[in-house]
Amino acid sequence: MGLSNNLTQLAAVMANQEKFQVSEKAQAFLASVQKGKYKREIITGLGKFLDNNVPEEMQGFYSKSELQSLVDLRGTTQDVESRMPVKITRHYFELAKTSAAIQTLVKASPKETYDLEGAPDPGNQMDYSPVEGLIHKYELGLIYVASTCSAHCRFCYREELIAKKDVARPDGTIAPKGLAQIPDIVNYILKHNKEVAANGGRHPETGREKLREILMSGGDPMVLGNNNIAEWWSALADAGIESIRLGTKELAFYPDRFDETFFDMVDKFHEAYPSTQIRLMVHFNHPDEFLVKDAEGNYIDDPDGGLEWVPSTKRSIKELGKREWISIDNQAPIIKGINGDPDALRIMQRELRRNRVENHYFFCGRDIIGHKAFNLPIEEVWRILNESQKGLSGVESHARLSITHYRGKTEVAAVTNEPLAGIPGTENGFVVLKLLRGAADAPDRGKVSIVGRNPEAIWFSGYDDRVIFDEAGLFTHVGEKQNFTPLLQQA
Amino acid sequence: MTFVVGENCIQCKDTACVEVCPVDCFYEGPNFLVINPDECIDCEDCVPVCPENAIYSEDDLPVEQKVFLKLNAELAEIWPNITEKKDPLPEAAKWSGVKDKLKYLER
Repeated sequence: MGLSNNLTQLAAVMANQEKFQVSEKAQAFLASVQKGKYKREIITGLGKFLDNNVPEEMQGFYSKSELQSLVDLRGTTQDVESRMPVKITRHYFELAKTSAAIQTLVKASPKETYDLEGAPDPGNQMDYSPVEGLIHKYELGLIYVASTCSAHCRFCYREELIAKKDVARPDGTIAPKGLAQIPDIVNYILKHNKEVAANGGRHPETGREKLREILMSGGDPMVLGNNNIAEWWSALADAGIESIRLGTKELAFYPDRFDETFFDMVDKFHEAYPSTQIRLMVHFNHPDEFLVKDAEGNYIDDPDGGLEWVPSTKRSIKELGKREWISIDNQAPIIKGINGDPDALRIMQRELRRNRVENHYFFCGRDIIGHKAFNLPIEEVWRILNESQKGLSGVESHARLSITHYRGKTEVAAVTNEPLAGIPGTENGFVVLKLLRGAADAPDRGKVSIVGRNPEAIWFSGYDDRVIFDEAGLFTHVGEKQNFTPLLQQA
Repeated sequence: MTFVVGENCIQCKDTACVEVCPVDCFYEGPNFLVINPDECIDCEDCVPVCPENAIYSEDDLPVEQKVFLKLNAELAEIWPNITEKKDPLPEAAKWSGVKDKLKYLER
């Protein structure tokens, strides 16, 4: 980005900051927020393990040969740490000690960079970014408020943000994705909603409706202090946002983040803004992330029903669940070596629902750089989820399987073993894909595409040569829209 | 891990870091800033904005500045939290890049 560009941006930001006023109500609320004290005991980087500069118990988390194979890749295009920095909390390490699934989730592996095919900006988000840090792709707006998490999932689909990689923008400039700033976002919401209102409920250019919901993402917004979260919440509520979503994996990485000071802030926010909903989007991949195991590695029956939870996670979930204006939904990808296990997923869905967590989405892995190391075939993921939901009650099995297409969020609705009589291409069965939410406005919601089966397919491109029916238009852009040239990979 | 403010900050105290820190973990003394290692979340956002290149990842801290690791932890417990940017010290330009400034550190 050129200097003049920087200066223009700076001037715009400064003008916004001058215009943005914290309301009196927000000021009173913010003055009441307490700061928490956290002890995440984060270990960042392989270097710490290499130098044995970690607590004694954590030494050996990576074996000597594992470390060596990773060190050998340093400085090459296969460097795993420049693809995705290594990071773990003490709490997550404790869980990982007895869980192969969690180890796969959080430990770096040379397999990640064997094949670096993938999109530098999965979902082409920069095409939908009117303001730095804001993605306005669906009816809701997504904002990046933090560029890190307490620990890092190796399969993270926002690796470009976490690893601060350069990303190409529609205007041709190349820069790392920046974080959202409150004045910019508030001004955008106010302007957008004003234009929508003046045009009879639809935006004159994009056809979108009023922005009612903002999703705070990153990174993990729960790494921010209570005061920063409170500033965002009050500013968004003052801008007319009715529901604030917050995507977090902190219940798995560091459940003690949900401490008294947090709930004090949450309750004071509710007093000040009683009609604003908080929708917590949590991220559990595997029941090992919240259930206690016995010496044999089995989950333990809770005398009060269900299974025994990790106490700090249970306490945090219970506290969240007490507040009826907070909803809690789980969504997670199904990833090779982590949770491609119907039994684990069945237990997880049952236990989450028992504790007031709705099972919202499961996802097929996205086409991130290095996705071949993480993604299970789409049809296999469908089978795993379908198997996991056998034996669950209706309310326990609300989760749908979604795969994010450039056109929007798509459900993998059905995979058949039987051909459709008389329809060529369905000899080995077929797959039904249904568009759940279209990007921009939503005229294509509910439209369907049908493709012949390909048990190897890990992305839409695996079906390019066997499209039978494409009402949803999922296969019109393949090859054209996706940028598979890994030109922005870091050396 | 944590990030650490090193000696380049002494007598300069630009405070650009304070504005970008998502967790408000900077603490302010008379002529130096420190990071509270228990609060730092390793996001690295402060590193590129520091005009004095004073902030290091704990792992990259130059050997001769190792003392700053302990100093950051210690002073963060005593000094007040700083969350808003202010002007650098008046003589910041004069002190920029000067070596061996530890002896000028005021507590």
